[in-house]
Amino acid sequence: MLAIETRGLTRLFDGKPAVEDLGLEVPLGAFYGFLGPNGAGKSTTIKMLTGLLAPTSGAARVLGLDLSRDALAVKSRIGVVPDGLSLFERLSGAEQLRIHGQLYGLDRPTAARRAEELLDALDLTADAGKLVGDYSHGMKKKLALGCALIHGPSLLFLDEPFEGIDAVAVSGIRRMLKDLVGRGAMTIFLTSHVLEVVERLVTHVGIIHRGRLAMQGTLDEVRAAGTLEETFIRAVGEERNGGPGLSWLDPAADRVGTGRA
Amino acid sequence: MRGTLAAVAELRARLLVRRLRGKGGLAEGVALGVLFLLAIPLGLLFAAAIGAGSYRAARTGHGLRVDVALAAILFGLWQSWTALSLTLNDRDGLDLRRFLVYPLPPGRVYLLGVLSGIAGDPIGLFWLILLCGVWGGAAVARPGPWLALLAVALLLFALATVFLVALLQELLSSMLRRRRLREVAIGLAFVATGWTLAAAWGGGARSWRNALPALRTVQWAAFPAALTNAAAVRLYGGDGAGALPFLGALAAATAVTGFLAFRLALAAARSAGDVGEVRGGARPGRGMWLGPLRGRFAALVEKEAKYLLRHPLARIYAVIVPGFAALVAWKVEPAIPREAGEVLRALPLFGFAVYTHLVMQIFWLNGLGWERGGARTFYLAPVGLADVLGAKNAALYAFSLVIFLAAGAVSLAVGGRPPAWAIAGALALHAGLAPFLYGLGNVVTVLNPRAAPFAVQRNGSLSWLSGLAGMAILSLACGAFSLPVLLALRLESPWLVPAAWALLGAAGLWAYFRTLPGAGRLMESRRDALLPVVCGDDA
Repeated sequence: MLAIETRGLTRLFDGKPAVEDLGLEVPLGAFYGFLGPNGAGKSTTIKMLTGLLAPTSGAARVLGLDLSRDALAVKSRIGVVPDGLSLFERLSGAEQLRIHGQLYGLDRPTAARRAEELLDALDLTADAGKLVGDYSHGMKKKLALGCALIHGPSLLFLDEPFEGIDAVAVSGIRRMLKDLVGRGAMTIFLTSHVLEVVERLVTHVGIIHRGRLAMQGTLDEVRAAGTLEETFIRAVGEERNGGPGLSWLDPAADRVGTGRA
Repeated sequence: MRGTLAAVAELRARLLVRRLRGKGGLAEGVALGVLFLLAIPLGLLFAAAIGAGSYRAARTGHGLRVDVALAAILFGLWQSWTALSLTLNDRDGLDLRRFLVYPLPPGRVYLLGVLSGIAGDPIGLFWLILLCGVWGGAAVARPGPWLALLAVALLLFALATVFLVALLQELLSSMLRRRRLREVAIGLAFVATGWTLAAAWGGGARSWRNALPALRTVQWAAFPAALTNAAAVRLYGGDGAGALPFLGALAAATAVTGFLAFRLALAAARSAGDVGEVRGGARPGRGMWLGPLRGRFAALVEKEAKYLLRHPLARIYAVIVPGFAALVAWKVEPAIPREAGEVLRALPLFGFAVYTHLVMQIFWLNGLGWERGGARTFYLAPVGLADVLGAKNAALYAFSLVIFLAAGAVSLAVGGRPPAWAIAGALALHAGLAPFLYGLGNVVTVLNPRAAPFAVQRNGSLSWLSGLAGMAILSLACGAFSLPVLLALRLESPWLVPAAWALLGAAGLWAYFRTLPGAGRLMESRRDALLPVVCGDDA
């Protein structure tokens, strides 16, 4: 059985395709890196797979369940860290974790116990009583990861989990994720721009470009003889460099636009 | 500098135009137009009524009739202006924090923001027309140079009200940031409520009324109304010189209030926005006691209750509504003659049942406005969206009931105990209106959400369209609930009122539970449009 399987998954915005005819195949227990340049359709795909966005057409099965028919059953078995995060900013970190756990069906004592463990594991115990709105971006990301894990999901969706957080936090999260997949505890579907991090983490890779799946397979199959970065650039093409200009930044230029040089 | 301020003005204009041309902007524009169209004739209508009162007062010159009329006009205007400004003011285009980065004097930006809050606001326009009515009535009754002083008094009244609202907003949000201050304020509120309830329980209404003259000083907390009232009483009595000290005091207090509000806003804009620890928030095991509620629904209700209790506007209303109840019981109720009958004498109490729902309308008309990214959780988690809306309504009703009960207790303590049927009626009215308002409010919440800031000084909690819808919903509901009152007056049977309201409420509750799943389905179908707005991606 595949953890994620999509057939012809398409999403149009104002008639223009953001994701087109997507056919993903993510094996159970895989650590799947979903790569693509900005605007390629990565977040749109995750949103469709997690129930945040309705597909225009196509079908998706998640953990063997039809996403359109068994949405609630799918939701209770997956954990998600969406791009914009899904945190209640006027709850404290501890309240957020516990209430989140309860929303996923845990009873209060279990949710509270797991929340304490997660706060400890994510190094957030000292800030557990602060409102989430006052957390730094990195702390919010860690808390969101805690929320995604509290109910023990079988499949974890992470949309740019390393964006905006420091190297120490990245290292901690990376270790935790690798450990979870290594233990056979879950499948992870991750999007990221940081190819070096992805290359060190994932077992499988999919590359999306302009809404279409350019390639997918195991890490070794995809990168073939080269590095992942080389494969990625081959798949999506080089970006045009900025040309000369910005003349007002020259040493002798009129910088404030008063007409005096 | 002029160029930079012009750029600010252009930015504000462009933001408005873009909002009107964007998704749902046409409906917003129509709503804004309708509000202006309503505000002007309605304002003129009420201005005529107030003008007639002002005319009579100016003709009479002295005495209790003048004192009561002016106090009712000025305190009434001030209170409703304050309450509604806190709800519907739309100044988010001139948020100080956003402008700190530009080379602009922050004082000027702040002043521009506050003043444009009146000029571009149909509600502000409505009150300005009413003030014109006060002046017009006086001018027709007794032309003369004293009218210039009256105009100054009314202008200062408007400015002072706007600045005091701004100061209140800043103070309350500042209290949220300082834990100790917040806890002292909550403690004082509890002591005051306990004292009031003890007085009411011990049959202390009479002693309360006797003590009121000593508490007259309290009115100066509402200084825009109190000082204008003191000046106006003297002006209407022909004592222009006597009014001058009060006008001077009003001008000085207005300036000081404006300055303090600005300094607090500037300090808040420059602060990191850190609100510190939440009491008991560090321990995941500690949570609210929710009685028999269990499971996901209990978690949803707890989250909603915490949001309400932490919302600065909800806290403002928890103080303002009982305060207003005391004022009405003190100033208005004694003015209703005994021969008017029991039903009419109970109207202020019934009014508070409606008023509590009115001030809480931002929460039932824009229930998702404060969720931000949290709204995604409702779609990601295995929860029913009807439950999400139901939990919002349940928490809001409990909060609204507590405020109403506090207002009722204060009213009882100050004004004396009304007959049992009136108490039953007020409770039935408050409970009976809720399912109608919340049921229809859920539809507005889902169809026209707006990302709202979690702070009082940057308002804009409701779009004009939602505000207009709320006005229509509340008017229709009040219209339906007023029919039994007319019948009771005709049949002289007051118990008919609570009985009919309880029946209407039961029908409303039935309809509410029948339509709630539909509201949940509507929320599901509106997912793609709703999330970008609520999460602030569109903001």
